[in-house]
Amino acid sequence: MSVVGQCLAAFIFGSAVGFLVQRSRFCNTAALRDAMLFKTYRNTKALLVTMMILTVGFTTFMTFGDGYPLQFDVGINQIIGLFLFGIGMVLAGACTVSTWVKAGEGNVGAIWALLFTFIGMFLFSLVWSFTYWPPASATMSGEPNLAGLQFGFANAATLQEETGIPALFFGLIQTAVLYAIYQAILRKERSIAAQRAPASQPAVTTQSPLESKS
Amino acid sequence: MDFFKKTYDPVISLAIISVLNIFLFLTVGAWTVGGGETMMTGLIAEFFLGEELARIPFWDLVFQPDAGYWKIYISLGMLFGALVGALLSKEFYWRVPKHLSEWVMITIGGLLMGIGIRLAFVCNVSTFFGLTPQMNLGGYLSITGIIAGAWVGSLIYKKVLEG
Repeated sequence: MSVVGQCLAAFIFGSAVGFLVQRSRFCNTAALRDAMLFKTYRNTKALLVTMMILTVGFTTFMTFGDGYPLQFDVGINQIIGLFLFGIGMVLAGACTVSTWVKAGEGNVGAIWALLFTFIGMFLFSLVWSFTYWPPASATMSGEPNLAGLQFGFANAATLQEETGIPALFFGLIQTAVLYAIYQAILRKERSIAAQRAPASQPAVTTQSPLESKS
Repeated sequence: MDFFKKTYDPVISLAIISVLNIFLFLTVGAWTVGGGETMMTGLIAEFFLGEELARIPFWDLVFQPDAGYWKIYISLGMLFGALVGALLSKEFYWRVPKHLSEWVMITIGGLLMGIGIRLAFVCNVSTFFGLTPQMNLGGYLSITGIIAGAWVGSLIYKKVLEG
C-alpha cells in the first residue's frame, strides 16, 4: 500500500475511533482507575470485551501468517515504562486516546497534557542518546547494551512456529482467561448491588461526583 | 438528530472499534498511538532545531522525523472524529482546569506518560489493543506495569483530592 493510502486508512480509522470514543465516553484510564477507586466497572467491561474480540481476530489471521503484528523486543523496560505511564495517566486523568479525544472536545487540560507528553518524550530521547537503553526493536537500528535484561521477541506467531500448534489455539486460551475475568467482574457487580439494595433509600444518591470526571 | 444526542454503550462502540482495528491490522498494522506521538515530537523538534536535531542520536537512529508515518494520522483522526462527535452532540465547549493542583497533576502526568511511552516503546493502546491480543510477551509485562502504576497513581490522586 502506498504511503498516502496508509495515512488515509489510518486517518479514517482514527476518525471512527475518535467519534465512537467521544460518544460512548470510553476511557482507558477510567477502566483501571474506577475499578480500583470507585468499584465501578463500566469501562473495564468494555475493555475486556474488546480484548477478547481482538485476541480471536488477531490470532486467527496470525495462524495464516496475515497482518502486521507489532515487532518489539520484550524487556524489563516495558514494566518500568508502563508503571510510570500508569501513574502519569491517572494524574493527568487521560491516557493516550482520551488526551486526543478530550482535546477534540475543547478540554484545555488535555491539550496541556499532550504538550507535556511531547516534552517528556523529547527529554527521554535526550537520555536515550546517552544510554542507548532500552534497545530499540529489531526493525529500528539502536545499539543495544544491557542486553541481559531483554527477553527477545515472542508472540502468537512465534509460539506457532515453535510448537506447531496453530496460533488460534493459544488465542482461544487467552480469550477464555479474559472471559473468566469478565465473569468475575459481573459477579462482583451483582454482590455490590446486593449489598446496596437493602439500604437503598440513602445509598442510591451517594454516587460520587468524581465518577463523571473521567 | 437523536442519534447524535444519546451516549453510546461503550461495549458496542469498542466492539465496532475492534472490528475496524482487525481490518487495520490486515492492511497496515494494529492501532497504536505512542509511535505517532513520538514522530510528532520529532517533527516539532525538527521545526525548532532544524538540521541540529540529527545530532541527537535518538532522532537519527531510532526515529527519523517523517511526515509520511501513518501512525501520526491515527492521532489526528481521533482529534478530528472527537471534534465532529462533540460538535454534532453540542458537547463542544472550552473546559479549563480551575485549580493549581489540577494543572500541576496534569503537567507531571503528561511528563510521566511521555517518558513512560519512550522507555517502554509502547503506550497503553498498544498494550491493551495490540500486544496482548497478539499474545506478545511484552503485552503481559506492560499490563503488569500499567496496573501497578494505575494503583499507585490512584493512591496519589485520592490523596490530592482529599488533602
